[in-house]
Amino acid sequence: MIIRLWIYFFKSAISNILNNSLIHLISMGTITISMLLFGAFMLLSMNLNNWIKQWGESLSMSVYLKDGADEKAKKEIESAIKKIKGAEIKGFITNEQAMINLKEGLGEQAGLLEGLEDIALPASYEIIFKDRSDNSIDPKLIKNSLEKMKGVDEVQYSQQWIERVEGVMDMSRVVGLAIGGLLCMAVLFITVNTIKLTIYSRRDEIEIYKLMGATDWFVKIPFLIEGAVQGLLSGVAAVLILILTYSVISLKTIDLFGLPVIDISFLSIQSCILLIFLSLTLCVAGGFVSIGRFFRS
Amino acid sequence: MIQLFKICKSYGTNKALDDINLRMRKGEFVFITGPSGAGKTTILRIIFGTTRPTSGQVLIDGINLSRISRLKLDLLRRKIGFVFQDFKLLNSKTIFQNVALALEVTGERPAITRKKTHQAIKAVGLSGKEQAFPLELSGGEQQRVAIARAIINEPMLLIADEPTGNLDPDITKEIMVLFRSVNMRGTTMVIATHNRELLRDTGQRIIALDKGRVIEERTG
Repeated sequence: MIIRLWIYFFKSAISNILNNSLIHLISMGTITISMLLFGAFMLLSMNLNNWIKQWGESLSMSVYLKDGADEKAKKEIESAIKKIKGAEIKGFITNEQAMINLKEGLGEQAGLLEGLEDIALPASYEIIFKDRSDNSIDPKLIKNSLEKMKGVDEVQYSQQWIERVEGVMDMSRVVGLAIGGLLCMAVLFITVNTIKLTIYSRRDEIEIYKLMGATDWFVKIPFLIEGAVQGLLSGVAAVLILILTYSVISLKTIDLFGLPVIDISFLSIQSCILLIFLSLTLCVAGGFVSIGRFFRS
Repeated sequence: MIQLFKICKSYGTNKALDDINLRMRKGEFVFITGPSGAGKTTILRIIFGTTRPTSGQVLIDGINLSRISRLKLDLLRRKIGFVFQDFKLLNSKTIFQNVALALEVTGERPAITRKKTHQAIKAVGLSGKEQAFPLELSGGEQQRVAIARAIINEPMLLIADEPTGNLDPDITKEIMVLFRSVNMRGTTMVIATHNRELLRDTGQRIIALDKGRVIEERTG
């Protein structure tokens, strides 16, 4: 009997969708656009996060030498740096070059350094880490290890920058959640109102069903199935449009401001399923809300 | 079968029913009559459970409607047929689908639903019109469809609100013959009407209402 009832519910739901096809098409179109925006935002957010992460990871390190570090110590330091995985010496900055760089950095205020020519700025090795994809490089460990070497005064790396990047990433997550929440609310609102429209267009039918002795769930289930079908189809449509758009217009790779070349990747299978599931859940929830309101009134 | 104790029903300050006490036995054929606004429809709706009395108790087959859950009320309605003055047919469904509806809501097997639907349509004399739509039928035929839908479950109680209100005298007679045959099979009948012709020489119990009160009980 249960199977028979469910067959009846599905037949009834499909028949209702076909009978109110225009309302459902408009609603599904709107939900698809909302889910598409949601998916596009997920895609953008995911790639932006990856990009910022990789950008942040391409950190540089300055190894400042003690005044009077001899050639032997320099060679040992160079050799130690070359042994570090992913590390590449970008250059060696002599004491004189360091002063020139400082003056250049100060620009018009370079006059402040007049009379301080005797002060020697420390020479340094500038290191960059190009490949940190496996996250096996710990800058703190490298810093401690290099600082123990003879001739090394101090090692600095762009820790503050990484913290700033993490701040940006945290902010982007908060913004993402807020936008995602708003889009979810929009989908819920659309579904509630679409199903409300179909319920009101069939209120005489519902009244007759109830007079015949139909239980509340007998009336409610087909509407919930309608919501589920709407959600499922809209979710699948949104994912398909995303895939199509990605394959047609995506540049796939970008190279910006000389930063590392990054592959723009598509959403994972899990994310696509999550998107479809979210659409389905929101639409069923919308069905619950509108049919619940109708029965309460 | 039906017991009404001290039933009162008010709509705002307007009293639709005032201290109604009635008993109807199983298998009885009862007419409720009175002028418009006397409270006939309100009594029927209270018996059917679509309207709750302001005060008083209603027992249908021993079940107190004021203490019944919504689900149990739905299940009880499957044992009660209701014929409405405005037929309450779904114009987008065929005659067959309209009649079958009363069995579909119970989850009956499709084969049995088909068989019983054909039988009910035949019983009201509409064989061959199964695939027609309500608006393609006359008023009398639509009323027969409503009756077929009401009797398909072999109800213990059949309630009809002005079932011949829109029908001409010949069709009215046919409908009454149909009701009597249903009553002969053991179904308790409660019919609300203001048609005096219908009450003449019926030999059945007549309850007359006026301004929400029972003013007379007699046998027609």
